[in-house]
Amino acid sequence: MKQIPGAAGGLFVLAFLLSAGCTSTTVDEFRQGETGIESHETVVILGRRQVSSYETSADFVECVGDRLAQGASGLNVVPEQEFLDAMFPWFEPRTAPLRTQDLERLMVEEQVALTMRDYGVRYIIWLDGFTETIDRTGSISCTIAPGGAGCFGFGSWEDDASFSARIWDVSNFNSVGTISTDATGQSYVPAVVIPIPLIARVEANACQRLGDQLKSFVIGS
Amino acid sequence: MKNPAISICAILLPALLLSACGANSVVISGSFPAPNIGKLPISLAAVFDGNLQDFAYTEYSETGQEEYYIQSGQSHIQLFNAILPAMFDRVVFVNSLEDASVAGVDAIFVPNIEEFQLALPAKTRLDVYEVWIKYNMRLLTAEGDYLADWVLTSYGKTPTETFVTTETAINDAAIVALRDLASTFALSFAQVPEISDWLANR
Repeated sequence: MKQIPGAAGGLFVLAFLLSAGCTSTTVDEFRQGETGIESHETVVILGRRQVSSYETSADFVECVGDRLAQGASGLNVVPEQEFLDAMFPWFEPRTAPLRTQDLERLMVEEQVALTMRDYGVRYIIWLDGFTETIDRTGSISCTIAPGGAGCFGFGSWEDDASFSARIWDVSNFNSVGTISTDATGQSYVPAVVIPIPLIARVEANACQRLGDQLKSFVIGS
Repeated sequence: MKNPAISICAILLPALLLSACGANSVVISGSFPAPNIGKLPISLAAVFDGNLQDFAYTEYSETGQEEYYIQSGQSHIQLFNAILPAMFDRVVFVNSLEDASVAGVDAIFVPNIEEFQLALPAKTRLDVYEVWIKYNMRLLTAEGDYLADWVLTSYGKTPTETFVTTETAINDAAIVALRDLASTFALSFAQVPEISDWLANR
């Protein structure tokens, strides 16, 4: 009898692993210049928010930043909101530089140059993209009655996360490269009395792969 | 013995009926950074009249019922309190033009909200909440004569997210719009032609 919980746990882990395997991620890198970073220099990751129909999620930006800061070779990452507040009003959606030439012009402003120097910013990474849900199918119906409650049915959907990262070198106002990532994954929710969500971690996988690739790109390895 | 299901229904049904009666109230709140720009060498009295302080907007549903009641007057006061002292040498905050005229300043600034628009995902079919605000800004001499009168618009949006309420999303979009106002106002103030001429002739 004691074996049953263990078997159930094993099945759960197996199901989770299978579900996690339902995500496929591709990463493309385009390098335009040499990179490298000193220990006193920092990186700032900012989300693009100029397009009206979507905006790059602050959570995704934070996730990529955390990934870059992790590990023995972790980089010094300035949190997005802290940088935006310190640089206010120069990096707001309407005023942020769209090209490296705009950044060069912006650095003529004494306050901007001083703040940038205080933070030791060497690279600005612009993240642009979003995650959308496509192909939602199936249905689940739930019933609550005095004697109990339960659900029955099957639902599934596909998530697609598409993000690009443009890396600007603040020391020479050049764009040194672009890394783009595309992750897709199918999630399922079978329900026999209890719904069991088997969620594909699409955005988390995109964040992980993009973060790792960005770290090695900036370090120059 | 009383059926528990009937008891739950007795509590839930009136609650549901009551929730459908009134508009959901949203009081815009957030924090605003001071602009990182050089100060203009002028002293200014900022007049926040009742129209600005008590500004509220009501969003109606497609059936004409009050859906959201959004109070943003105080958040605008908070915003101007944060940005004006960073933009000008000296700033005094007053409630009327009479108080401003005896404040011993170079100019009087009177901001006003002309229009407020809200776009909800349920109506636009987009995955974002949007706020659009139109302002009328006036700058007067210390004596109350006309110096400049200009229109500013601000825009803010926030994406729909699971477990985030509509009220929170409206607040977030409004805060983005207020930051947009602050950035545009701070960077364009000296470029308004009448103000530019006035600054040049001082």
